[in-house]
Amino acid sequence: MSDAQGHLLELDNMSKYYGNIIALRDVTTYVNAGEVTCVLGDNGAGKSTLIKILAGVHKQTEGHIRMNGQEVSFDSPREALAAGIATVYQDLAMVPLMAVWRNFFLGAEPVKRLGPIKWIDRDKAKHIAKEELAKMGIDIRDTEQTVGTLSGGERQSVAIARAGYFGAKVLILDEPTSALGVKQSGVVLRRIVEARNQGLAVIFITHNPSHAYPVGNRFLILNRGQSMGSFAKEDISLDELTQLMAGGAELEQLQHELESAIAAGGDT
Amino acid sequence: MSDTAVPEAQPAGAPAEHDDEGDERLAYRGLFQRLFIRPEIGAMIGALAIWVFFWAVAIPFGTAGGTASTLDLASTLGIMAVAVSMLMIGGEFDLSAGANTGAMGIVVILLVKETGDLGGAGLSLWIAIPISFLVAMGIGYFNGSMVERTALPSFIVTLGTFFVLKGAKLGFSKLIVDQIQVGRIDEGHGYDFWRKIFASEWERNGHQFEGRDLVYTLLVIGGIALIALAAYEMHFLRRAERKPVGAIVLAVGTAVAVGGVIILHTTDGVSGNWVGSLVVGVGILVGLYGWSEWRFEPLHERGTVHFPPDIMRLFGYAALALVLSVFFAIVFDSSDDSDLFFPFTEQGLRAVLYVGLAAVGVTMLMIAASRARKVSPMTKSAVSIITALVVLGLAFFGRSESESVKFRGEAFSVMLAVALLIFAWALFGALFTERTSVDRAADRVGGRMVAIGLIAIVVGIIVKLLYTTDAEIAAGLAPAKFSMRSVWFVAFTAVATWVLGWTRFGSWTFAVGGNKEASRQVGVPAARTKTQLFMLVSGAAWLVGMLLAFRLNTIQSGTGDGQEFEYIIAAVVGGTLLTGGYGSALGGAIGALIMAMSQQGIPSARWNSDWRFVFLGAILLLAVIANRFIRTKAEGMR
Repeated sequence: MSDAQGHLLELDNMSKYYGNIIALRDVTTYVNAGEVTCVLGDNGAGKSTLIKILAGVHKQTEGHIRMNGQEVSFDSPREALAAGIATVYQDLAMVPLMAVWRNFFLGAEPVKRLGPIKWIDRDKAKHIAKEELAKMGIDIRDTEQTVGTLSGGERQSVAIARAGYFGAKVLILDEPTSALGVKQSGVVLRRIVEARNQGLAVIFITHNPSHAYPVGNRFLILNRGQSMGSFAKEDISLDELTQLMAGGAELEQLQHELESAIAAGGDT
Repeated sequence: MSDTAVPEAQPAGAPAEHDDEGDERLAYRGLFQRLFIRPEIGAMIGALAIWVFFWAVAIPFGTAGGTASTLDLASTLGIMAVAVSMLMIGGEFDLSAGANTGAMGIVVILLVKETGDLGGAGLSLWIAIPISFLVAMGIGYFNGSMVERTALPSFIVTLGTFFVLKGAKLGFSKLIVDQIQVGRIDEGHGYDFWRKIFASEWERNGHQFEGRDLVYTLLVIGGIALIALAAYEMHFLRRAERKPVGAIVLAVGTAVAVGGVIILHTTDGVSGNWVGSLVVGVGILVGLYGWSEWRFEPLHERGTVHFPPDIMRLFGYAALALVLSVFFAIVFDSSDDSDLFFPFTEQGLRAVLYVGLAAVGVTMLMIAASRARKVSPMTKSAVSIITALVVLGLAFFGRSESESVKFRGEAFSVMLAVALLIFAWALFGALFTERTSVDRAADRVGGRMVAIGLIAIVVGIIVKLLYTTDAEIAAGLAPAKFSMRSVWFVAFTAVATWVLGWTRFGSWTFAVGGNKEASRQVGVPAARTKTQLFMLVSGAAWLVGMLLAFRLNTIQSGTGDGQEFEYIIAAVVGGTLLTGGYGSALGGAIGALIMAMSQQGIPSARWNSDWRFVFLGAILLLAVIANRFIRTKAEGMR
């Protein structure tokens, strides 16, 4: 595994206990700028715990987080954000009844001022929002339209574009494709590649190996809080990934059972 | 996504602005969807309808004096409604707001009173007013931080504050002056100065301006014409190349219309009026045509006129409503002033039936016109021309049947203008191509023109309100009396609208009301924003407390209690969502105006004012339903 100095974000033997419950044990992986590390795991594998630690919501019980070789520790989401780690949650940090440009700049609106009076530079905000979204390949018809009118994929895309614009170095995506249809998922996956090409380090959390495999450079597989290993793309195939993720043998057995059940059903 | 495709429907050589079409799944939004996206639009239409309603049945309505007193009546409620709207957009309620207004008045009066041993500090108003403001900020801060710290619903927390304030008002009043009211703020040092700030009133009868009506008419007609042009701009497909001849025709039309208005104002008597009106009408029609010829793509395939059964059915309903309307107007004697059953006098009932049924008939025709659009452009034009003729007929009928000057003069000209605009719309609908795709540049131009037109109309109305003429003085009309509280109301609404739309605080207000967790995640100081909103409401209550104290000189201990629900009603009528995240400050102000109009209009229509709350409740329900309908229509795609 890795102990190189240059990794943008590195997790070293990280563990998290909630009382006597082991949510995460000895997880080690890293992500570099311009790379995608996928975190795969079934429900209850500890993916959410991992995100919460990286986003500064919780603190790890054991182990270290390093950015560019320096040990870091976050006490709040704000600190993580300030360090350049932006998290796009599954339920999305968006206000559905507000315009796209307002959502894009929410909390960091550009202002003009005249003496003590400050107001939002609307034209600039709209212009930048449109431009940044266009960079991600999203053509929003009108940035005045409310986020509620966008499709799920478009909302994810806006959130990703926003994180990129506000200087995130590491982008954590929490199951961005789980609620989306096939085509919309494709749109979001393309955004992930876009973000990677712009030099962001992306941590992409998913339970769908076929979404992860095409975009990922490295795969961390979690099962019941245990790390099943962190693999470079060259070292693992999609089938192996799927196998590992579901706990290998279990899936094989399930496949047998299903096949025999279907065969039996066909006989009668 | 497709950012290359230009829809086939567009003729070759469409302007370059058309190229940013966007997502093919988003349907094109029509003119009305684009105009109706504002939250307060329902309230605006409602306010207009109620104004017309009372204007028709109540004599003082619509005069400068009547308007000024509506504004005065609406001002204290309106200031609070605007602040409460902002708080509700931020997702919270303040039930202590009503009691707070009276409390602030009592605080300031008690501070200036000299009552010896018991309390009354005998302070100067220069000190007492800032102190009371600090007290208000403290109450707001308390409300806000309690709601944030305890995470209890603001409904419960502020209910507690309400009872505390209610009790404290009574308790302190009895303790210090031994009465349930405290009075005589005019004993305070500095009273003369502060009275000017909070309670001065002035009459505008001394300000004569003989050209007033000319300026007013020009501004209003100009504003309406500009809005009509904007509607065309947003509705029709723009030419690939402008046709400059059209601009010249537009200039000629405008000159003719202005000339017509001048003729109208320099002549007296019926024949001159007719010539003037005709010239104005022709000028407007020519101007609109010039504009369209200048900018829009001509229509080549007009289709034929054909009325399918559903349109015929609508014609049937419309005819029924119109016949009934005329029937009722004839049956009721136009000079009988007697009272019928509640709540109508004979004239009131007559006006309501006539105007109401006529409106239903015309609406049916307009629905028919929008359906006819699918049949062919010519059919739509035909239906619209029928509509214009019906409006024209109703105008002449109203003029011949009515005793009231309002119907004979003002309503008649308004209806003529409406008929003219419908006729122009019908004519040009058959001459030029309607737009079926996004054209943001045209929408932007149109939006600015609408804004300028509205400003022109408002300035015209202000000029009419502020100045008087010899003729009016001779007729002995009641003077228009303006008060400082109206000024505070207008200023407060303007500032609040600006804050909500243009500042970070405004953006955060919408955000914390719309999705508090999300806004916190992206770094919005949610708790601080909410606390500041509570302080804003409390600050507004302080302002209203001052307005009340300086107007009344005496404050009852119960002043303001229970008013908080009226603030919430005004906000909701104005389009603010009860669940937060959506609404406007202007909506709250319009909601307050609606309530003031009903309060003032019911007695001046000589109805029993005990029934005011029935009216209010009905308005509330109607407004909520209408706002919901408009919002889903406006958003269109959810």
